[in-house]
Amino acid sequence: MSVPDYMQCAEDHQTLLVVVQPIGIVPEESFFRIYKRISAVSQVNVRDSQRVLYIRYRHHYPPENNEWGDFQTHRKVVGLITITDCSSAKDWPQTFEKFHLQKEMYGSTLYDSRLFVFGLQGEIAEQPRTDVAFYPSYDECETVEKRIEDFIESLFIVLESKRLDRATDKSGDKIPLLCVPFEKKDFVGLDTDSSLLLGLKRHYKKRCQGRMRKHVGDLCLQAGMLQDSLVHYHMAVELLRSVNDFLWLGAALEGLCSASVIYHYPGGTGGKVGSRRAQGGSLSAEAGNRHRPGAQEVLIDPGALTSNGINADTSAEIGRAKNCLSPEDIIDKYKEAISYYGKYKNAGVIELEACVKAVRVLAIQKRSMEASEFLQNAVYINLRQLSEEEKIQRYSILSELYERIGFHRKSAFFKRIAAMQCAAPSIPEPGWRACYKLLLETLPGYSLSLDPKDFSKGTHRGWAAVQMRLLHELVYASRRMGNPALSVRHLSFLLQTMLDFLSDQEKKDVTQSLESYTAKCPGTMEFITLPDGLKLPPVPFTKLPIVRSVKLLNLPTSLRPHKMKSLLAQNVSTKSPFIYSPIIAHNRGEERTKKIDFQWVQGDVCEVQLMVYNPMPFELRVENMGLLTTGVEFESLPAALSLPAESGLYPVTLVGVPQTTGQITVNGYHTSVFGVFSDCLLDNLPGVKTNGCTVEVIPALPRLQISTSLPRSAHTLQPSSGDEISTNVSVQLYNGETQQLIIKLENIGTEPLETLEVTSKTVNTKEKLYGDFLSWKLEDTLSQFPLKPGKIATFTVNIKVKLDFSCQENLLQDLNDDGISVSGLPLSSPFRQVVKPRVEAKPVNPQESSKAGDFSHVKTLEAILNFKYSGGPGHVEGYYRNLSLGLHVEVEPSVFFTRVSTLPATSTRQCHLLLDVFNSTEHELTISARNNEDLILHAGECQRMAIQVDKFNFESFPESPADGTQFANEKQLEEERQQAKGLEINSKLDICWKIISFHKYLL
Amino acid sequence: RANYPLYIRSIPTENELKFHYTVHTSLDVVDEKISAMGKALVDQRELYLGLLYPTEDYKVYGYVTNSKVKFVMVVDSSNTALRDNEIRSMFRKLHNSYTDIMCNPFYNPGDRIHSRAFDNMVNSMMMQVC
Repeated sequence: MSVPDYMQCAEDHQTLLVVVQPIGIVPEESFFRIYKRISAVSQVNVRDSQRVLYIRYRHHYPPENNEWGDFQTHRKVVGLITITDCSSAKDWPQTFEKFHLQKEMYGSTLYDSRLFVFGLQGEIAEQPRTDVAFYPSYDECETVEKRIEDFIESLFIVLESKRLDRATDKSGDKIPLLCVPFEKKDFVGLDTDSSLLLGLKRHYKKRCQGRMRKHVGDLCLQAGMLQDSLVHYHMAVELLRSVNDFLWLGAALEGLCSASVIYHYPGGTGGKVGSRRAQGGSLSAEAGNRHRPGAQEVLIDPGALTSNGINADTSAEIGRAKNCLSPEDIIDKYKEAISYYGKYKNAGVIELEACVKAVRVLAIQKRSMEASEFLQNAVYINLRQLSEEEKIQRYSILSELYERIGFHRKSAFFKRIAAMQCAAPSIPEPGWRACYKLLLETLPGYSLSLDPKDFSKGTHRGWAAVQMRLLHELVYASRRMGNPALSVRHLSFLLQTMLDFLSDQEKKDVTQSLESYTAKCPGTMEFITLPDGLKLPPVPFTKLPIVRSVKLLNLPTSLRPHKMKSLLAQNVSTKSPFIYSPIIAHNRGEERTKKIDFQWVQGDVCEVQLMVYNPMPFELRVENMGLLTTGVEFESLPAALSLPAESGLYPVTLVGVPQTTGQITVNGYHTSVFGVFSDCLLDNLPGVKTNGCTVEVIPALPRLQISTSLPRSAHTLQPSSGDEISTNVSVQLYNGETQQLIIKLENIGTEPLETLEVTSKTVNTKEKLYGDFLSWKLEDTLSQFPLKPGKIATFTVNIKVKLDFSCQENLLQDLNDDGISVSGLPLSSPFRQVVKPRVEAKPVNPQESSKAGDFSHVKTLEAILNFKYSGGPGHVEGYYRNLSLGLHVEVEPSVFFTRVSTLPATSTRQCHLLLDVFNSTEHELTISARNNEDLILHAGECQRMAIQVDKFNFESFPESPADGTQFANEKQLEEERQQAKGLEINSKLDICWKIISFHKYLL
Repeated sequence: RANYPLYIRSIPTENELKFHYTVHTSLDVVDEKISAMGKALVDQRELYLGLLYPTEDYKVYGYVTNSKVKFVMVVDSSNTALRDNEIRSMFRKLHNSYTDIMCNPFYNPGDRIHSRAFDNMVNSMMMQVC
């Protein structure tokens, strides 16, 4: 007896074992079809009694196990059914011969046998024989069930006769000693009759009696006489205990237990076995009733239950209850029996099976702790060298039993061992497929699910170190199975969920292997469906890299669309009757996908900024990173990035172009890391900060680019009202100079430019500015409109600088070095006066005068030119764009008139205007005035020039001083600069000069 | 409590995975024992669960606090010097130390334990035994 049957349960004690075997060549499929039909007949009501016979069918049973049949009769093969395929009459004798051979194999224990012949027709088939049945084919065998029932009935008759024979045979001496196989040699040579000692003989006799009693008990049980069997078992226990025949005592106890279990739990303890029986066709109604879960507590005696369900014999019931063990006693007795079995090394299998049976009983009693003790014991039962397959079976069964008593972890542990056994190196053909399947079954035990979503929330669940190991094994098994997609999936799952627990070296190893796998089979986002229907959800790498925040960026200022004013007012909708309510602000914070209050423009590149970091200890290459959006057709432009090892937060900008208009929601991004493609949805990411993901996309607008004739400036103008300046230009001018600024407007968008508005604003308002600083004619430019994409229009702006430099005291003091105050000069003309009251008040300061040589009194003027433009569909919707040009002008002082006086001229209508002209530039310049010769002024030189002017009556315009400016002396000043180095720069500028002092005077 | 490890440490460090398995499977027994006791005296139950199960080489002891935090200790079964009382006192020490950790306002219940004091305590206990 060497092959343990792990499926055994206590009820099996009451069954008759029938072996069904094919002989000759029988197609496996047909054999199992017949076998199934035969197995359906597992309960038979014997005709004229109320007893029920249970049959256990096996299609394979080792003859060695049969040898233990005397020990426990349910191990004895009592019936043999052979199925054969015989096509011609010629083969018939041969087939029949084989049948007999087969019969001999189990010959010693067989009660009866049957041969089912399929395919044979003709005169042989006509012969009526009891032990042979002929069927024309596998499909036409309606009478199989009937045959089986007949067969079982004949088995019952034999069984009954044996039982009666044994039970009534009380003549003490003749009782043969029943032995288990390994005991036989012990008794060889022991002559029972010639035993010397009477005591020994009595002892021996008792032993024989006890064993026989137990045997009868077995038979009674099998014959459906529960009550009798209990009595016999009790007697056997008494007898055997007195003679210390432990093995048989154990068996008797176990028999007692089995009978009690059958009595207490008619629902069966085998679980699976029970349900299989319930499926059996003919008896399903009754069986289903009997195997209903939860019905085990109801004391239904299968032996007393007739087909109409009336319990006829109540007295028997009472008697039974007396002999029957209570549930607690059953366990105690099982323990005892097992401890007795334990004394015999050769009874290992019996012990193991008893353990298994006891566990099943305990599982029903829900006494897990005790069950685990039995199982623990079962683990230690050492059988002889097991084959690999048996080992797997053993571990699987252990796992199943642990599962049943609710020890899921332990169950998973054994299942994993079984799985590993499937692929043990000693097996020539490792069953990776089976190994993988078993491994998958262990997952719940380790609280591991293959859905990464379960891991994204909160803390890690389960035992990380063990889970990691398991995942590694899954990866390996799936790879050996030849399913690289599966191993990629598992590996990426491992990386994604266990990232926090992997050491640096492990991270490296895992990623390397992942890369090597993906080289063959890239990871996808599809569900992988296993053959057994399990679906593996995709694993997005949300941790490689980790995204901390997602921010949708507004368009650059120059491209930002603006709504026409009238429409804008509508946008400010009041959701609440309050002007300000903190509650609204609060609600907004909760809304994750709130709308952002700027717009994107169709056809323009839009940006989303992600703050990412790389948790890996090496450089991470992320390829093909793009945005996932809904709502609007969006062309995502993928980016590739490489993050340094364990980088801090690293900004990444993902760009894309919306192709249509409407609401766009950014709900994730996709990446490709280590060859695994993943789509990461923001909703599933923990700890991601966003400021809203929904943006409105408005229709396309044209884009304008401006370039100017002036160099770009390093100065950036401070935006005055939130506007940003897209371009800055700077120019250096002397006071009074005029320059043309040519602005090229290029339409670089795809929409035609239809309207343009230009406004200007001077930023620096500290200085007093005279006249128009900037002037332009828009009509010239607008005539070129609409501007097609790619076309250029020009726009000219005149820059004129006129500033008051007279306030610069330093300079004036410098000039008045001679100590004569300006005001102190005698003025011959009553009209002329130098108005410099501040200078007069200022005392001469030697320090200041020494500084006066530095010409640091450059003034700056800054202005912003705003271009509002629109066109295309966006224009229809009322949007426009704003482009600003910053203008930075540095104004240097050029010519000062430091003193003015008049001299009467020869003509009374004229007078000489005497001007002290000071050249504050660093260049030589000539000053020419009307009908005067040029006056050359060197740098820093001061000369007096006289100009003859007509006198005019000042009193004629006293009431309108503003008009007076028009009558101010006009002088034309031609400035010519000459560089000493030979370079000649001649720039002639006509400057309309209005001298400040004149103004003052006129005022 | 949620059956994931807060802290795990072993001497010798090789073969650590085996201990992981041992402790993991022993949680089954802990669960069973708790659920068996649970209905009855929840308040005055004994925290010490006693020997969970013996394997060939090790003995596994369990201890559950009132807040269902589990301590599991695996000792060499050849170490006969350790009797029930010693184990019990060790668990008590462990529990005290754990309470100290929980008192730390910066410790987030449910996180892995990184406390140096706890480390030292466990170390000293292990040294004592070995």
